[in-house]
Amino acid sequence: MAGRGERRFLKNMPGWRASFNPWILKLPNNPERLAFVLHRVTGILLILILFLHITVTTTPATRGWEFWVEEIRKAQGITPVTLYFFIFAGIAIFHGLNGIRLLLVEFLGCCVGKPEKPKPPYISATLKAPQRTLLYIVFALWIILWMIAGYIIFT
Amino acid sequence: MAQALKSAAKYPPKTVRVKIKRYSPETGREWWQVYEVETYRGMTVLDALLQVKEKRDHTIVMRYSCRMGVCGSCGMIINGTPRLACQTQVSMVASEENPEITVEPLKNFPVVRDLLTDFTSFFEKHRKVKPYLIRRDTQEQENPKTEYRMTPEELLEIYPYSLCISCGLCVSACPVSASDEGFLGPQALAQLWRYTADVRDEAWRERLEIADDENGALKCHFAASCSAVCPKAVDPGGAIQMLRSALLKYKLGLWKKRKISEPVPPLEPTGEKVPLPPEAQTLPGVDLEAMEREPVVIDASKLLD
Ligand code: HEM
Ligand code: SF4
Ligand code: FES
Repeated sequence: MAGRGERRFLKNMPGWRASFNPWILKLPNNPERLAFVLHRVTGILLILILFLHITVTTTPATRGWEFWVEEIRKAQGITPVTLYFFIFAGIAIFHGLNGIRLLLVEFLGCCVGKPEKPKPPYISATLKAPQRTLLYIVFALWIILWMIAGYIIFT
Repeated sequence: MAQALKSAAKYPPKTVRVKIKRYSPETGREWWQVYEVETYRGMTVLDALLQVKEKRDHTIVMRYSCRMGVCGSCGMIINGTPRLACQTQVSMVASEENPEITVEPLKNFPVVRDLLTDFTSFFEKHRKVKPYLIRRDTQEQENPKTEYRMTPEELLEIYPYSLCISCGLCVSACPVSASDEGFLGPQALAQLWRYTADVRDEAWRERLEIADDENGALKCHFAASCSAVCPKAVDPGGAIQMLRSALLKYKLGLWKKRKISEPVPPLEPTGEKVPLPPEAQTLPGVDLEAMEREPVVIDASKLLD
């Protein structure tokens, strides 16, 4: 509690939650926000998976090649290992595809809205620009490639 | 605001519950307070708040001025969306099924009391990007005889950005501003680009260096929420990406301002007359040539009798 006569401003910042909860605010017409959250989450998960991958691939050194080959041979159908591959595929495919979109938009300034005379209903040009189409293509390709990856992994 | 036009014609529910997030800076207490408000067609959320303030509880603190979406002071979070209270119809955000409107202070701004937020740092960041035309010839700029040349196409390049009313909705929606007080934010960065892209300005190097700062354009991750909430379609998200790509090229030594406009030479009277279009006819008894020779003097005192 502030002392007598003392006034204190309230710091009203949601902090990191704004980066992980796409619904922290109700933002109409803003799928880019969802893509931003997914890109951040998948990026962080990719780092964790990289560490996991390094740890796991030391197995032949500690437990021998036979054990490794046997484990891989057993990874048929739905097992914890193939499930992990499937999840990894989803994460990597989204991050890669959306990463290409972000490189185009952020580094080359491509596909964003050109300045225009604002007219009703006053929608910012970038929300109608080709980057939005690109985003829908990213989402669609993601699901398709992920399903194909699932088919390859599980069969 | 097409939605606003449609909902202005619609009747809101007869009464709405306005749920206001309050804050007392003396005690540090935060609480929600609910007020019932009788509505009318065309009522805005700002009208509803003012009615609460007038008739129910005059201790509610908020900021507003123009009531017509021009001054940019009434930004608040209404039903979870950053909006201008004066540009939000009650019928847009409340319905018969759900007649509750929640109103909170803008996020990412320190709250002074209730709905009133402190914009000091916002305006300081705006000032940091030097939001004014800078010319090398300061003598000419301080004592101008003519204006700088600018074509309509060159104007359009910066026009939407120049419509910013500094309402702060974009900063409130930005996920980077939400976790980083230092970030210049969408408003300041869009204005940085607005002056960098202006053909009349010569300080592009200086401004690109400001954008290159660790708190500058490179912190943007293109969530585009700024563009989604901007009431003036300023499109700060798009402006920042253009700024960023210009900055990248500039750092690689590939970007240079295409054109810097010169002052228009002083206008000389040419003596040329613009003829009246053929369809224009003077009233009977009016002799244009005589009027040109001898200017008409109207005696105001005679008009009164
Ligand atoms: C196909 C390959 C990849 C591409 C095209 C790509 C692209 C990108 C881009 C453009 C960004 C910047 C996003 C922004 O500005 O918000 C980014 C961020 C990031 N990437 Fe990648 N990336 C790839 C692979 C990886 C890998 C393998 C990892 C992990 C080891 C990774 C981890 C991250 C992380 C942690 C971020 C930061 C996320 C954030 O700040 O929101 N990326 N990636
Ligand atoms: S860019 Fe738009 S949302 Fe941001 S301060 Fe200016 S008018 Fe408001
Ligand atoms: S009161 Fe001026 S913008 Fe709402």
